[in-house]
Amino acid sequence: MTEDDRDQDLVAATLASAPPPEVSPAFLARVNARIDADDQNGWFGVLDFRAWTLRLAPIAAAIAIVALLWPDNAISRTSSPTPVATVTTAADTFTPSLEDDWQQDVSGNALLEAALDGGSNVR
Amino acid sequence: MDPDRELVEAAAGGSRDAFDELVRRHQVAIVALARALMSGRGDPEDAAQEVFVRAWKSLRSFRGDSTFRTWLHRVAINVVRTSQARQGRLTKMFTGFREDAPEPPSAEAPVDQTLARRQVIERALGTLPDDLRVAVTLRDMQGLDYREIASLLDVPIGTVESRIFRARQRLKPLLAPLFRTGQ
Repeated sequence: MTEDDRDQDLVAATLASAPPPEVSPAFLARVNARIDADDQNGWFGVLDFRAWTLRLAPIAAAIAIVALLWPDNAISRTSSPTPVATVTTAADTFTPSLEDDWQQDVSGNALLEAALDGGSNVR
Repeated sequence: MDPDRELVEAAAGGSRDAFDELVRRHQVAIVALARALMSGRGDPEDAAQEVFVRAWKSLRSFRGDSTFRTWLHRVAINVVRTSQARQGRLTKMFTGFREDAPEPPSAEAPVDQTLARRQVIERALGTLPDDLRVAVTLRDMQGLDYREIASLLDVPIGTVESRIFRARQRLKPLLAPLFRTGQ
């Protein structure tokens, strides 16, 4: 047996010889009192706001985080539950994405003509 | 064969007398376990009472995969960990300081040899990290075998052996005064 082994055994024996604690004579009575108190709470326990606060806190925190991180443009998005028939108009095909479409020197007549043409002149 | 099996079955069926007998059988061990794990922080008897209250409530879920004693130890470890975590949060909240060590002995420390010996052991255990303290307490103070401890802590047996070995190494200089007294 090495010295380490002897030391291990010494510590183990010392711990094993630790005096047992003195348990109060009322220990069992207190356990039963707590069990009875919990049983009597019953529905009051269900309505215990402290218990529910603790239980729901993680969910509330998650909702708050999602709300904070939710992108702003998603709020205005609407979705229709059923497909709606759409009428394609000139406005639908008019895509003023090109800078040239917003030329200041383009006459009003030219713009109107472009819109009425249904986007055929749109580049 | 679990010596508590019949009592557990009766208690799970609602018998408070059977449960009372289980409490009497295991209260000293559970209080001792709580004392060792809490190392002066908090009230171990209060924690031990909570252990039995929880055991009563969840007795129907005890499937008999382990002995009732081992299962009760698992409940005790969970109760103590929850209690310590809550106490740590409250301490931080109200004092801003983390309570790392138990309070030093007061000027009126007991001179009773038994109490002194217990205090030396508890303080020594209090210096250990949680994982080492739990393992060595379960083995050397509660008498659980390595397999039971591994199952209870959900770690390999080798891990249990390593933790116990390291715990005893750390405890040796702290418990040395008790070696010399030969008690």
